[in-house]
Amino acid sequence: MKINPKLKQDLKSFLLERIQKEQNRVIVISADNLSSEEKKVLSGKKFTDLNWNQAVYQIDKSIIAGIIIKVGSKIIDLSLMGSLSKLSNTLYEID
Amino acid sequence: MENLGIDGKLLLAQMINFVLFFILVKKFVVKPFTGFLNQERKNEDDKSKLLEKLKKSEEASMDAERKMKEKMKKEFDVLFAEAKKEAQNIRTDLIKQAEADAQDIKNKNKKMLEEEKNLLYREVKDKIIKTSLMIVENTLKESLDESSRKKVTETIIKNYRGRLKIYEN
Repeated sequence: MKINPKLKQDLKSFLLERIQKEQNRVIVISADNLSSEEKKVLSGKKFTDLNWNQAVYQIDKSIIAGIIIKVGSKIIDLSLMGSLSKLSNTLYEID
Repeated sequence: MENLGIDGKLLLAQMINFVLFFILVKKFVVKPFTGFLNQERKNEDDKSKLLEKLKKSEEASMDAERKMKEKMKKEFDVLFAEAKKEAQNIRTDLIKQAEADAQDIKNKNKKMLEEEKNLLYREVKDKIIKTSLMIVENTLKESLDESSRKKVTETIIKNYRGRLKIYEN
C-alpha cells in the first residue's frame, strides 16, 4: 500500500509538534494544592527556563510534602518521599 | 684192646659216626648259619651305610633348608624394608593429600560462611532500611497536617538552589 507523501509529511509534522509540546509541558505534583504565591515563586524565580504557561498541577498525597516537577522525560524531585528514597539509596550504598 | 674194654669196631663205628655227624653238621647247619650270620652282618653294614648316607643327606638337606631360610629371611627383610618405605611414602602422600583436601574444604567453608554472612548482613540491612524508612514515612504522614506540609513545601521551594539532579525517564 502506498501512502500519500503529503499525508505522511503532515502526520510527521503533527507528531513532531505533539512531541515538542509534550516535551515542554510542565507537570507539578504536590501533596496539597499550591497557593498562587508558591506558583508565582516557582515560575518567577526558580525555574525561569521552563514554559509555565501550560503547566499542569496535580495532587499526590503519597509524596508527603514538597513538589515534583516533570518536564517531558525529566523529573525534578523536591518531595519528602524523594528525599527518603535518596536517603535509602545512600544507606544501601554505605557498606 | 679188648682187655682194656675198648671195642675196636664200636670205636670205629663211633668215629665214623662222629665224622659223618661232623660233615653233616658242617654242611647242613654250620654253613647255612654262617651264611646267615654273614648275610646279617652284611645287611647290618648296608643299613649302617644307608643310615650314614641318610644322615649326611639329612644334614645336607637341613643345611640347604637353613641356607634357604636365611636367603628367604634376607629377601623378606629387603622386601619388608622396601614395602615399609613404600608404605611410608604412600602415608606421606595420603597425609599431604588429606591436608590439601582439608584445607580446600576449610577454604570453601570459609568462603561459604563469608558469603552467607554477607547475604545475612545485606538482608538485615535491607530490612532495617525498609523498616526505618517505613517508620519515618508513616510518622511524617501522621504527624504532618496540611499547614505543616505547606510549610515544608514552601521551605523546600525557598531553599532550592537549582542544584538538584534531574532524573531522565
